[in-house]
Amino acid sequence: MSNPFIKIEGLSYRYDEDSSGMGKHPVLNDLSMEIEEGSFVAVLGHNGSGKSTLAKLLNMILTPTSGKIFVDGKEITDEAMTDEDVLSLRKNMGMVFQNPDNQLVATIVEDDVAFGPENLGIPSDEIRARVNSVLSDVGMLEYATHEPHRLSGGQKQRIAIAGVLAMLPKCIVFDESTAMLDPIGRKEVMDAILRLNREKGITVIMITHYMEEAALADRILVLHDGNVLLDGTPSEVFEQEPLLKSCGLNVPQCTSLIHQLRDAGMSLDGDCVSIEQCAELILQTLNKER
Amino acid sequence: MAEIKLENLSYFHGKDTPYEIKALDTINLTIPSGMITGLIGHTGSGKSTLVQMLNGILRPHEGRVLLDGQDIWEKQKNIRSVRFRVGLVMQYPEYQLFEETVYKDIAFGPKNMGLGEEEIRVRVEESVRFAGLSPELLQKSPFDLSGGEKRRAAIAGIIAMRPDVLVLDEPAAGLDPRGREAIFSNLVKYHEESGNTVVIVSHSMEDMARYCDNLIVMNEGKIVMQGDRDYVFSRSNQLTEVGLDIPQVTKLMLILKEQGIDVDGGIYTVDQALERILSIYRKSL
Repeated sequence: MSNPFIKIEGLSYRYDEDSSGMGKHPVLNDLSMEIEEGSFVAVLGHNGSGKSTLAKLLNMILTPTSGKIFVDGKEITDEAMTDEDVLSLRKNMGMVFQNPDNQLVATIVEDDVAFGPENLGIPSDEIRARVNSVLSDVGMLEYATHEPHRLSGGQKQRIAIAGVLAMLPKCIVFDESTAMLDPIGRKEVMDAILRLNREKGITVIMITHYMEEAALADRILVLHDGNVLLDGTPSEVFEQEPLLKSCGLNVPQCTSLIHQLRDAGMSLDGDCVSIEQCAELILQTLNKER
Repeated sequence: MAEIKLENLSYFHGKDTPYEIKALDTINLTIPSGMITGLIGHTGSGKSTLVQMLNGILRPHEGRVLLDGQDIWEKQKNIRSVRFRVGLVMQYPEYQLFEETVYKDIAFGPKNMGLGEEEIRVRVEESVRFAGLSPELLQKSPFDLSGGEKRRAAIAGIIAMRPDVLVLDEPAAGLDPRGREAIFSNLVKYHEESGNTVVIVSHSMEDMARYCDNLIVMNEGKIVMQGDRDYVFSRSNQLTEVGLDIPQVTKLMLILKEQGIDVDGGIYTVDQALERILSIYRKSL
């Protein structure tokens, strides 16, 4: 990999003992990997597999028990990191969380988006320009003067994304940002995420439970027991249906259908990640026999 | 067993204010007894408002809610007993856990019903089993549980009241595939063993297609469709028109149909699709 934006070496993390004296179980265990600049990586894993812990380590909300993390060439786990270094890291590595209601602070959409840059002491002309540009990036410019609490879940999440974009990050981590949305809201947010990645070149790390969303990424990482179980393109990863199921995950319905048709003796060669690909494979085979 | 019937039911948000919105519009509906009924519709279609009518959390502005033929609002002081008979699990119920131990949390409902210690113990143990929760967790703090376990503990708290009708608003939202599966398979087991009526609200058409016998589709405060799975999923155009997603395999079947393959849009599970395509394939050999 020519230009890793994130490089992780031997990363481990343990939470402190819980009240019942359990715990001390490593959430991440000697994890190493690299993420290329401008890529779109989906992170899958069942609850408790370490996905959210990894996300919080990437911008130093948590500090690792051992191991190193490099972001944009700089070691963020270095003890010499100053408070300012941490702030500049967080500017570079935005995060969008699950619950849209927990991330909005202001009573007007544009004030909410301006909150981050205002805290950086950026001149007001510049803030105005940034707010307008990021709101249009997420397709919410016409809502600039609306009240956030009157918006739908998908709209609120797009405002949260705009707030992160206003800090001009190179990378955004989405921690199950579509989990609480309905199908329409999920599509709005996914479209916005794809646009940021493809058009603005922002590196995207997306933690999700929805296999159909992971299918849109360039690369899927599957975490299990604190380490990387699978790492590859959606097509390569979804090929491993039995393994994914054994660790509480799944593959998209259509992919599963193709796998079962193959097991039943139909020859269907090729990628089967999207609905269109699956339809194409079935059509080819059926038309050949006709 | 209990049957819920809604008659000419209407409800307005912000009634008598300039922001008045008609949330439910003259609804006539029977929720059949002893079945799993799925309620679907996009955000704002009135699903959550409707389920809050079923146990008297909201009072209709027009029309009646009948539980076994009895208007639940006829004697207002009896509304509490309606809430014991129709148990409602709200969205993200784990935010409502509050007791020191899981046991006490689940026991809260039965205790409010005025039941004795021994009866409460029996019911807590029964509901924990129905919810698919390990009994070892009973003495833990609910806040030490995982997300999926918290959700199941909250559901157990409602089941412990032994309601005739169990209503769940988005019971699997935000859970991983294994967590979803655990919630739904336990609900099906609960339904089969108790024979009770279950009403589930969900956005996941895949889950609805798998688990519900009877489906109700809502749009703009109205019921637009009601019937069994075959009936509802064979009308995928209408579903798309009211802003609903259709299961992935159904979309796939529609593409194949357009290309002249002899399948129909009424296929909504992977197993059905598998069977249909294999039979076409074998015939063509």
